[in-house]
Amino acid sequence: MESRKAGAFDVKMLAVIGVVVAATVGFTSGYLIGVAKQPETMSIVDDYGRTVKLSGVAERIVSVSPTPTEILFAIGAGSQVVGVDDYSDYPAEANNLTKVGSFTLNEEIIISLNPDLIVCSDLVPRAKLDKLAIEQGIPYFIFATRTMEDVYKDIRLAGGLTGHTTEADQLVTQLQNRVNALTNKTLATGVSKPRVYIEYYPLWTYGPGSFGDDLIRLAGGTNVAANASSEYPELTAEFVIAQDPDIIVYTVGPMTTTTETEIAGRQGWSGMSAVVDDKIYSMDDNLLSRYGPRIVDGLEQLAEMVHPELFS
Amino acid sequence: MLILGGLALLLFLSAFVAILVGTLGPIGPGEPERITFSEAIDSIFSDSTYHWVFWNVRIPRVLLAGLVGAALACSGTAMQAIFRNSMADPFVIGVSSGAALGAAIAGFLGLTSIAGIGLGMPPLFAFITAILAAFTVYVLGSVKGRVYVDTLLLSGVAVAAFLGALVSFSIYLARQQFHQLIFWLLGSLALARWSYVEILLVVVAIGAAVVYLYGRDLDALLLGEETAHNLGANPEPLKKLMLGVSALMAAAAVAFTGVIGFVGLITPHMTRLVMGANHRLLVPAATLSGAIFLIWADTLARTIVTPDELPVGIITALCGGPFFLYLLRRHSMGRES
Repeated sequence: MESRKAGAFDVKMLAVIGVVVAATVGFTSGYLIGVAKQPETMSIVDDYGRTVKLSGVAERIVSVSPTPTEILFAIGAGSQVVGVDDYSDYPAEANNLTKVGSFTLNEEIIISLNPDLIVCSDLVPRAKLDKLAIEQGIPYFIFATRTMEDVYKDIRLAGGLTGHTTEADQLVTQLQNRVNALTNKTLATGVSKPRVYIEYYPLWTYGPGSFGDDLIRLAGGTNVAANASSEYPELTAEFVIAQDPDIIVYTVGPMTTTTETEIAGRQGWSGMSAVVDDKIYSMDDNLLSRYGPRIVDGLEQLAEMVHPELFS
Repeated sequence: MLILGGLALLLFLSAFVAILVGTLGPIGPGEPERITFSEAIDSIFSDSTYHWVFWNVRIPRVLLAGLVGAALACSGTAMQAIFRNSMADPFVIGVSSGAALGAAIAGFLGLTSIAGIGLGMPPLFAFITAILAAFTVYVLGSVKGRVYVDTLLLSGVAVAAFLGALVSFSIYLARQQFHQLIFWLLGSLALARWSYVEILLVVVAIGAAVVYLYGRDLDALLLGEETAHNLGANPEPLKKLMLGVSALMAAAAVAFTGVIGFVGLITPHMTRLVMGANHRLLVPAATLSGAIFLIWADTLARTIVTPDELPVGIITALCGGPFFLYLLRRHSMGRES
């Protein structure tokens, strides 16, 4: 009786030990196979200083902001983009891709696209991106662009993410050549610095530290809002009148209601230099607010408005 | 009792159907692709491609919608009883503007989601400031330990206006995050998580049980504080308890989803118009109706403009407003004849 009990106990113990050993071996080997299966061969630091790890060059990218979409297509990585946000409408091929929403991203569609990387600008709310990254292992990469130098950097980063480093370097060189050719004229000594006021919404403008401020500087102008209190300030009409801008540029997008006549006809604006000299111009909003390669088109247009005499 | 059983069944069916509705289907817009019913059932019960979509996007979202609707409706029922005013709602004591300020502060400090921890800073900030706002209103509205509901109502309005101005100011300062704040102010269930569901389940279960247990006292209170006293209900502790419980439920709901209007105002009122002001029936019926209403409103919100979604507050106001007016008109017609 005693011995039978003891025997049964031993068998149980043996079974337990067996299960524990089998489970340990199983889990360890499973883990090792899992690790071996997904080698993290790439890690790139994004504009927010986050290290983004990839198992290789990104092949299925969802871009949730127009800026990275335009950069990816410009460096020949368009075929690696599988989904874009609602606002990504350039180049035309981007329109044929699956739309994944805009500020409210649609996780269901993103999952159905099976992406290996999400790219975004720093304006996109990050809560859903965090959820996808942590629970689904889909990393996201942030582009935060504030100056022309940032544009070059972002293009090179996109090249690294997609394996198009050569095209990225070529594109950066081209853009740098165009910008240098332009600034050789606009920033030369002795060239005047007209006062420029850009409005993207009535009385809302680009303040210090914003990309628009950098563009005005490169175009050879003086930003009337250079000393404003924030990056995207709302000015008072009085302030604009007192600054007496030589050139007024308003941006045209889907929400624009402003016209040249409306600006010229604003109460108290009739004596302003830009109004008297008829120097009120419009520009495609996308050329000033999307920090991809097209920003140089925007800069060239702006420079011609500020210094027509240099570009005849 | 039959009505409560029917509502419970309807809630169960609504949740079940809502889980099957979504961008990818099987019920829904079905773009860019649509899954079939069997694929959906497969995805729910086995580890296939869309398992994650069902278990980490839709199911927690539908459950959270139900719980938020229940919390707001139950809280609204209690508020309308203690204020003896059918225009009272869960936000009447400053909870929503308090929560908005907390969310704005969190956004301003750059404390976005900390998804790994499961709760995140904005909800925590929003909850704390909501409770602080409600407590401030309570202190301003009570004199020597007695709660005067009309003073409470007015201090609620004043505190809400003051906090609202602070929120507008922080939106002005935090330009970069203003989209997020605007969405928050309109209410959305888009960030539903299991941890939110778990927390709110506990809050609603306890809160609704407490309100239900004091149902008879709320009936008595509706007859006036003196009558309530004569009937054996003690109005002062009752009012304080109900204010506390309602504020907790509303603050917890608002902290996770932003300000979803009309549910807490309309659902209790509609339920009362249909089945009378017996709180032992009204509290569970309104709670269930709030859950059903918000589940359907959110289902519309997340499918109607796919791939984007509408803030659910727009849907609740659009659907709730006219239906409320219809019931109100019918009710007043009946009164006239």
